[in-house]
Amino acid sequence: MAAPPRHVSMLSISNSNTGAPQSASSDKPQTPQPSPSPQPTSGLRVPSNRKTIYDRHLNRSRNAELSRASFAYLFAEMVTYAQRRVTGIQDLEKRLNEQGYPLGLRLLDLLFYRSTSTSSSALSSSSTSSSPPNRPLRILPLLHLIHGPLWRLLFQRSADALEHSVSPDTPNEYMITDNDPLVNTYISVPREMNMLNCAAFIAGIIEGVCDGCGFEAKVSAHNQPTEMWPSRTVFLLRFGDSVMEREKVLERNGVK
Amino acid sequence: MPVYSFYIFDRHAECIYKRRWLPRPTSIAGKPSRATDAQAGSTGLGQTVKAGDDDAKLVFGTVFSLRNMVRKLGGEEDNFVSFTTSQYKLHYYETPTNIKFVMLTDLKSPSMRIALQQIYINLFVEYVVKNPLSPVEHPGGVGVNNELFEESLEQFVTRVLA
Amino acid sequence: MSATKASRIGEETRIDKVNAELVTLTYGTIVAQLCQDYDNDYQEVNKQLEKMGYNIGMRLIEDFLAKSGVGRCANFRETADMIAKVGFKIFLNVAPTVTNWASDNNQFSLIFEDNPLADFVELPDDGRAQDELWFSNILCGVLRGALEMVNFASPFPVQMQIEAHFVSDVLRGDDTTEMRVSLVRYIEDEMPPEEE
Repeated sequence: MAAPPRHVSMLSISNSNTGAPQSASSDKPQTPQPSPSPQPTSGLRVPSNRKTIYDRHLNRSRNAELSRASFAYLFAEMVTYAQRRVTGIQDLEKRLNEQGYPLGLRLLDLLFYRSTSTSSSALSSSSTSSSPPNRPLRILPLLHLIHGPLWRLLFQRSADALEHSVSPDTPNEYMITDNDPLVNTYISVPREMNMLNCAAFIAGIIEGVCDGCGFEAKVSAHNQPTEMWPSRTVFLLRFGDSVMEREKVLERNGVK
Repeated sequence: MPVYSFYIFDRHAECIYKRRWLPRPTSIAGKPSRATDAQAGSTGLGQTVKAGDDDAKLVFGTVFSLRNMVRKLGGEEDNFVSFTTSQYKLHYYETPTNIKFVMLTDLKSPSMRIALQQIYINLFVEYVVKNPLSPVEHPGGVGVNNELFEESLEQFVTRVLA
Repeated sequence: MSATKASRIGEETRIDKVNAELVTLTYGTIVAQLCQDYDNDYQEVNKQLEKMGYNIGMRLIEDFLAKSGVGRCANFRETADMIAKVGFKIFLNVAPTVTNWASDNNQFSLIFEDNPLADFVELPDDGRAQDELWFSNILCGVLRGALEMVNFASPFPVQMQIEAHFVSDVLRGDDTTEMRVSLVRYIEDEMPPEEE
């Protein structure tokens, strides 16, 4: 599977915000900086009381909570806004996926940052003294990172299931299941749109995390309701050929 | 206790949701030609508001006048809660955003004010207001008659209020 | 209702929670998407954010009233306290200070010590964003939408039309984040349409 061009462009957008002149073109530089520099090097004005992102600890909001309704309203506006600009359900899901994608990249940074600086002594350490982030090299650790830490960061619980495709034709397919996705809590999909799953936004986040780790993948969200879990959603991860080939090489070399 | 019918009116005085459970008492059943509407069993899920259904208009006109009269006589803190005829009892609850909830029950029914408030808080807000696929306002009832809202309303009325 | 009573309601109202960073980052992608879709025309982005906020406000007010159980406000001053100490507390877990009242009591400022929407945010260094973009402009729309929906006590209930805009933002290098809120007029209750 060839690398989808969209990803390439998304990546370049997200990476450009560290200082390229045209960085402002399309993305907010929200990316948390793993090693805060004491002074912004840019031409930006800063408040005299130093209320900038560089002066606030990145873990400040780690355990912070906000109203679930606030999220629901923002998400609702995102869906409504996306709906105005699309032609069909697939298009809508694609757009929601694209909105989630940059989030995945950012959350990945946050996850790594936090998994390396657990002790308070690491708070102000420069990049030289902290241990390198524990980036997954193989598919399974990546999936565990998504199923566990990523889900806990986002939803305060792990995902409900992690499976590998049983079909010999699709060894590159994995499924992560959420019995009751937060984003679908308030959504009642009309019958004429019954294929729609707004968790495409979460699929985008997963895709961002995979790509950020160097695992090219396509992720989509599918309705798989059960009697008990009417909004049960399966996230289907399809890794690219390059990933599968690398996987074989790493396996031979005993990399875990 | 039998619940006969239920209405929601928005702040533009439009009936945005209407549902019947049991045959209405004859005094408000409207024209005889409409009698079939009122049969139990014809009230399946998805019954939407029909423009021109005059009972909704009548109900609105009545509660609107009563509510204004009550405030004029009793002061702004006074509330119109319910009225009773020889056939039915009409219960009324109004949100501070001017959404009006009306329920018709049999005469023996206790006050439904709390029940209507519960429908507003737990069903309307959760499944209509917060639903990204429902519009912010509901001209013609669009977005209110979604599955989650209708099913939970059905459950609430048949299990909780029964 | 007194300001202290309002704070108590704000503190005590039970609400379902989510991770704050999910909210912050989701808002960030919304703004980023708008900047992209409108080619960094920040005036237009401000406008779109305000519009989105207006829609949110109309929904959120229902939730607010349902959850907090507060009644009608007696006047605009009470409304201000209710917004700052109950509304913002419930939905953003902050309680901006109400201050700088105009002498006619129809205008006040909200000063934000904290703003979860802007956590992690630095505006683009393009020489324009800091002068043109109001990153949290959605909040202005939320207030406008919410207050337009809610009844205001009087012999007969009326709704409020307000206008809100930011006058400073720490993201722009200002020392405070301040929103100015003005009462424009009261809107009368809608009457049922005339019978044909």
